[in-house]
Amino acid sequence: MKKSLSIALGAVLLTAACSSGTNANSGSGSGGGDNKTLTLASVDQGSVEDVVKAFEAANPGVKVTFTTSGADQYQAQIRTQLASGTAPDVMTVWPGNGNPGATYVLAKPGYLLDLSDQPWAAKLPDSFKSVAQFEGKTYNALFGLNGIGAVYNDEALAKSGLKAPTTWTEMLAFCRDAAAKGTPAYALGIQDNWVTQLVLYALAATVVFGQDKDFNTKLAAGQTTFAGSAWTQAMAKYQDMNKAGCFQKNPLGTSYEASQTLAATGRTLGIVQGNWIISLLKGKNPNGRFTMTALPATDDPATFLMPAAAGAGYGVNAKAKNKELALKFVTFVMSPEGMKVFNEKQGSLPTLPDAGTTVDPGLKELTTFVQENRTVPFMDQLWPNAKVQQTMLSGLQEVFSNQATADAVLKDMDTEYKKGE
Amino acid sequence: MTADLKVRPPGRAVPASSPRRRSRGAPPWWFVLPALLLFAFVVLVPSIRGIYYAFTDWDGLDPDFAVIGLRNFTDMLDDGDALQAVWHTLLIAVAITVIQNSIGLLLALGVNSMIKTRNLLRVLLFAPAVITPIVTAYLWRNLLGPDGAVNAVLGPWGKDWLGDPDLALWMVVLVVVWQFAGYSMVIFLAGLQSIPREIYEAAAIDGTGSIRRFWSIVRPLLAPAITINLMLSIIGGIKLFDQVYALTGGGPGHATDTISTLIYKDAFTLGEFGYSIALAVVLTVIVSIVSAGQFAVLNRNEKAAS
Repeated sequence: MKKSLSIALGAVLLTAACSSGTNANSGSGSGGGDNKTLTLASVDQGSVEDVVKAFEAANPGVKVTFTTSGADQYQAQIRTQLASGTAPDVMTVWPGNGNPGATYVLAKPGYLLDLSDQPWAAKLPDSFKSVAQFEGKTYNALFGLNGIGAVYNDEALAKSGLKAPTTWTEMLAFCRDAAAKGTPAYALGIQDNWVTQLVLYALAATVVFGQDKDFNTKLAAGQTTFAGSAWTQAMAKYQDMNKAGCFQKNPLGTSYEASQTLAATGRTLGIVQGNWIISLLKGKNPNGRFTMTALPATDDPATFLMPAAAGAGYGVNAKAKNKELALKFVTFVMSPEGMKVFNEKQGSLPTLPDAGTTVDPGLKELTTFVQENRTVPFMDQLWPNAKVQQTMLSGLQEVFSNQATADAVLKDMDTEYKKGE
Repeated sequence: MTADLKVRPPGRAVPASSPRRRSRGAPPWWFVLPALLLFAFVVLVPSIRGIYYAFTDWDGLDPDFAVIGLRNFTDMLDDGDALQAVWHTLLIAVAITVIQNSIGLLLALGVNSMIKTRNLLRVLLFAPAVITPIVTAYLWRNLLGPDGAVNAVLGPWGKDWLGDPDLALWMVVLVVVWQFAGYSMVIFLAGLQSIPREIYEAAAIDGTGSIRRFWSIVRPLLAPAITINLMLSIIGGIKLFDQVYALTGGGPGHATDTISTLIYKDAFTLGEFGYSIALAVVLTVIVSIVSAGQFAVLNRNEKAAS
């Protein structure tokens, strides 16, 4: 009897293990069947918490169950949840294409709810509409705008007696002088490979798109290539900057985190980064003041363009358990109140005019560039697959460590681009 | 009761000694059944079902995908990154196995001697093994940074340890060996302590030197510990992921990418699940072949030694 009992016990344990697994899954997916609970997954750690609080205060009785995670982890998680039908009602979605959590990628198989009839959808400026939409329908509530440029530590700059450069020639001289004084011009932390693209984008905005605003259309039509275009000049200028001593020693061993410390504490005069870096630098040096300008890529400041693009926004699950509340949340995010909380916390600019957001004074130049329409979307947002960008990121690390040439990297990018979706 | 009847061997009529010997030597086979069922449903079945996707172009999301036969596997042969990752994986596995076990054995011989602080040393040397690998890796990432402690000590001889593609791979090996040499030590130590003192005494009376004593007594009697240590470190080395991902992210470029980091990147950064699962199948095959081969060889040596 004892023997058969142990088998029976094993079987019971096994069933219990299986069934509890299933419960956990459905639990996280539905988040309760009543219409007062909203489930949300986000990458906006540090800002979404306040938005949720404000949303719950504005809608008494409503409870938002949310999770936040880093972009890598989030992209893995959301795809698994969508594929298995356990995704939350509202989720972070990136604009355009080119990453596993982007609008095109998620809207194409029908996972996102059409938001075209929402009041804010028509008000989005055209440059954001193109990346919020898939086949003419709006799927992504894009609330914030980010730009890339040179961010200077005002105090360190004053101490060095140098002036922020306004032309390419001035910049190379600035780099040499700064290096001679022992405080290199720009911190570069390319151990984290996504950072490698920022200087290149800042240069390519003016060098590639200043010459040819329609470069992306031509690239898509096969009329031009990376390796056969001004991208080679942008690559060459990136290396010229490196040779002129614009960056601190050993950038490949320096992490994103370490680069922030260098710039925040004045061990470099600045850093080439996105505007989000300002709040991070202030976190490391609360008394510091930081100013962002366009990175000079030619000798004619009038032609400068800055890369600026919508950051990640929010989409609604097509199979949301609580569609009504999900739409209400997205409307709140796009309202002046929601936008203000998000953008002030993230240090970004609002995508809709008249949002009443207070912008950091260090971002004046970026605001002007946006108003004058002198911006170019981040280059990867309209590339057909994620591999093009990843090839560029690891390729740039290889260029910096002499494992590859700039031309070879651009050719590899062409190969991946031509593979399409 | 039915199960009870089934497991009874047909030869019930044989002398009483037979069943008693069986019940002492080998417990009834169905004792493993609960564990086996659990393993089958949690590991085997999902894994085998997963292998199916290696023959598709599934992107991890779209329910519409095509079966593309062996194309993921043939693509691998044209993929420089994948071939390089296989090379890195084997290099790391061999280097870790050799270095970690040599150091582990030396440490074990050291703390097995009669030195006074041996208990304290055992604890200290084993300590790194109880830390999560990801934490160790972040720790070393800071120590090995351009402004880290290592360069501060070395001064003008400092290097960009993790940013130099010629050094980065060896830094990964260093970190793993630093963490797990103590682990190997503990297993060797257990083996050493099971060797009866009388044998040493007899050998000492016969006038053997310490090298001779190690080679002719310790080595053969340590064979089971050697087998288990080599198995663990080579399998761990081939599957290495956490330390590489946290230390270098596979970079600079692809200089430290292993099969595991490539599997992760292809699936979760690029959304190429089919290809990534095909890589995982290749990894499984490599691990199976290496461990089966190693087990066969070491098992034979072990038997020969005893």
